[in-house]
Amino acid sequence: MVDDMTQTAGAATGEVVLEVKDLKKHFPIHRGIISRVAGHVFAVDGVSFDIRKGETLGLVGESGCGKSTVGKTVLRLLEPTGGEIRLRGQDVTHLTGEELRTRRREMQMVFQDPYSSLNPRMSSGEIVGEPMENYGLATGKAKEDRVAALFERVGLRRENMLKYPHEFSGGQRQRLGIARALALNPSLIIADEAVSALDVSVKAQVINLMMDLQQEFELGYLFISHDIAVIEHISHRVAVMYLGKIVELTDKDTIFRTPLHPYTEALLSAVPIPDPQVKRERIILRGDVPSPINPPTGCHFHTRCPYAVDRCRAEAPPLTEVSPGHHVACHLREVGAGPVKLTPTKADAPVAAA
Amino acid sequence: MSDAAEIMDTPAPDAATERPIIEIDDLRTYFYTRDGVVRAVDGVSFKVHRGETVCVVGESGCGKSVTAMSVLRLIPEPPGRIVSGAITFDGRDLLGLREEEMRDVRGNDISMIFQEPMTSLNPVLTVGRQIAESVVLHQGLGKKEAADKAVEMLDLVGIPEPVRRAREYPHQLSGGMRQRVMIAMALSCNPQVLIADEPTTALDVTIQAQILNLMLDLKQRLGTAIIMITHDLGVVAEVAQRVVVMYAGRKVEEAPVEELFARPMHAYTYGLMGSVPRLNVALENTGERERLQEIPGTVPSLREDIVGCAFAPRCAFATDHCRAERPELEEKRPGHVVACWESERVRAAHG
Amino acid sequence: MVATPTEVPLGHDKTVSRRAWDYTRRHPTVVIGLGLLLLMVVITLLAPVIAADPLFMNPIDRLRAPQEGMIFGTDMYGRDIFSRTIYGSRISLTVGISVAVLSTVVGLAIGLIAGYNRPFDAIVMRIMDGIMAIPAILLAIALVSLAGASIQNVIIAISIPEIPRVVRLVRSVVLTIREQPYVEAAISVGTNFWKILWRHILPNTVAPLIVQATYVCASAMILEAILSFLGAGTPPEIPTWGNIIAEGRTYFQRAPWIIFFPGLFLAITVLAVNILGDGLRDNLDPRVARRM
Repeated sequence: MVDDMTQTAGAATGEVVLEVKDLKKHFPIHRGIISRVAGHVFAVDGVSFDIRKGETLGLVGESGCGKSTVGKTVLRLLEPTGGEIRLRGQDVTHLTGEELRTRRREMQMVFQDPYSSLNPRMSSGEIVGEPMENYGLATGKAKEDRVAALFERVGLRRENMLKYPHEFSGGQRQRLGIARALALNPSLIIADEAVSALDVSVKAQVINLMMDLQQEFELGYLFISHDIAVIEHISHRVAVMYLGKIVELTDKDTIFRTPLHPYTEALLSAVPIPDPQVKRERIILRGDVPSPINPPTGCHFHTRCPYAVDRCRAEAPPLTEVSPGHHVACHLREVGAGPVKLTPTKADAPVAAA
Repeated sequence: MSDAAEIMDTPAPDAATERPIIEIDDLRTYFYTRDGVVRAVDGVSFKVHRGETVCVVGESGCGKSVTAMSVLRLIPEPPGRIVSGAITFDGRDLLGLREEEMRDVRGNDISMIFQEPMTSLNPVLTVGRQIAESVVLHQGLGKKEAADKAVEMLDLVGIPEPVRRAREYPHQLSGGMRQRVMIAMALSCNPQVLIADEPTTALDVTIQAQILNLMLDLKQRLGTAIIMITHDLGVVAEVAQRVVVMYAGRKVEEAPVEELFARPMHAYTYGLMGSVPRLNVALENTGERERLQEIPGTVPSLREDIVGCAFAPRCAFATDHCRAERPELEEKRPGHVVACWESERVRAAHG
Repeated sequence: MVATPTEVPLGHDKTVSRRAWDYTRRHPTVVIGLGLLLLMVVITLLAPVIAADPLFMNPIDRLRAPQEGMIFGTDMYGRDIFSRTIYGSRISLTVGISVAVLSTVVGLAIGLIAGYNRPFDAIVMRIMDGIMAIPAILLAIALVSLAGASIQNVIIAISIPEIPRVVRLVRSVVLTIREQPYVEAAISVGTNFWKILWRHILPNTVAPLIVQATYVCASAMILEAILSFLGAGTPPEIPTWGNIIAEGRTYFQRAPWIIFFPGLFLAITVLAVNILGDGLRDNLDPRVARRM
């Protein structure tokens, strides 16, 4: 198993595994007895990014920002409303049936809930073996050996193959989910809140495992999470989403050192730091995230932004590359200007000093 | 952050002279299931003084929530039962009270907020009515005054347009708003103790920041003591004055917050701190992704008798002594209590 | 990874009888229901041994009260009520079980597809609503009178009004399960439609279906008795509980035992099946089972 999984190692690093252009997913809202479409939820509204081999793109945002929808749409568990998804150069946006099934081998998913993402009526060995069966990769003894090897790779004992999901702890179940995703030698893994449901000490085990596997198999990760500290830990590049759009996208160091979008700035400052000595300037945002059914005009963030000007209310800022590799969607950030300090425009600007 | 910092700097009331508002002494709460006895809480003691914030930290199954529920005597019985120990509130033994007397304590003297606000609010009553009802029940106010009080409380917890919001139902509010309503309800009778069980776990970070700030602000204004149950060390560092660390149904370490973070002396606390991904660490590093320190294995089953230290099977510092004999709590430094045979080595490792 | 210390030791070392006792203590209803039902089945199977010819008429012993040698008494033709009741249980159990199996199988097939196919769902569910709007007994009477009285026809006639209930149940389970992350996970690892249905959806419908089947079985036995009583069911020459009661009703004041014993058997059997169903529901329903 290890042999054919590592065959790609060392080959053309930096190859783009996934390319997403202007992806849109709108959910119609049906009302009344004749199911008239009364509006849309603009869950994902024009999102573009790419992921290279062996790279982790962290997708971070608060609940309802559309980050999970991005993951499911890329995997084509949901039909995209618009845009383009390219998997290793090939357009998979509109594939259906057998063609889609064939291509899906290359992208796999690790789910959030380690309880409901495993069929309670299948043994763990059957769960991990199912993908191989589906593509006729291995049967009988060969399959069993491969499953056993996968079990060992993710840190489970092979005797556990006969056990059922409820006999495992949360962390072990998430390892099963990872083993299932690895079974098809994918080049891309979409991890949707993969460690969010786990306890602190177990979370660290799973994060480490995922980082090790990435190195070993040169996997591309789309790591979706609301936990900024975890994103910061595992990612190479980070995309911040707010109400269906990416507001900032750059490499990890830049985004944590010099966040340019006011939302990123507020988000980072809101994360509690496990050190009572650290006193920071904290920006407390007013109010809640608006509904994606009726998003605000112009820049979606202007209703909560302490720096918003008239232009923000009228015109939606495009995602612009302000410095090499640093993309920001904000009218107040100009190309090449760098991290200039912004001035609050609201009288009750919710900025608290340390 | 200014508010929070200020509160933390306020010296805690003199612990030596003043009587603690809550005192938990050797509490044992067991669950009798058909697969055996689960010792969810097995001998936990700590005190909370007036106006103090104590955080109880631990992973799921460590008994932190059961401890909180025991204080309010909300343990479902059967299968659960408070087997022994004492819980004293302001000099009164809570475990000796009759159920009617206890009902009067709940919500009035001690209130609780839960992790999931949606399930703790009644979906068919307006939020204003729900707050008003508890005020009528506990403080004997008239309907009109209670309704006014509800609006006042909603305003206090920072809900915009409180008059309109009081007429809305829980499903019409966002998660952050609902948690504010829960806090408003919990504080409506001016309780002396507020128990918060993972109050921000279900919320987004920007909302979490709002709620934590609100709780600290209210504490300062109303002088409420807070027992905060959490698994998030970030939240602990931000709000706590004193921290109780629990593992497998027992208190393994207790210390003032700065002391605990500066000098963890239990191997579990030390491991926990190392396994949390933190923002500022990487800000000092460049580019490279570091491996997290992991604690191997999982928490032990509370059904079986544990010989020696419960953490020993997962502990990097464990010796034969740890596996054979359970360490007792010992005050190693002023206010810093720990139950670990190898606390000196742990302390050295952290330094 | 260290072994799972949270594992609960399984009772491999316990003896079979010890485990049976444990089960009885935990699920007394299942055991009682099953016991009563098994007793009925045994009685039915032993009918030729323990009972006499149910059709044998003995005019001398007409309308005898229960006594030595004819423990349930006799009817107006001098037929032995005990023998007739025992043979009657054959028909009742056959009808009850056949209807449960037939309506479950048909309902399962329709429900599975309805849960997955929107256009099919829209049409079929309206038809099901239509069938459910007609009282079961009227529908069964109409069907039997159209097709003629025979046991097969009675079974089919009773099954048809039961099918919509099964379909609704299966459909609702399918609609819940298809949204489960493990079904999404199965799709993303390339599992095809039929395999998802067979492997991931179907096994999870079994528990509620078994429970539903017991209720269907009980109500089918009552329906069969009512049909016979009304003269719209099994031909009158076959001794079924309903037929015996129907014939005995004119003698109700003079010979109440003619009605009493088949009525008692019907009540006990239906009760047994219902108790079994309740017990199974508590046993199989994961929400209840998860409680400690």
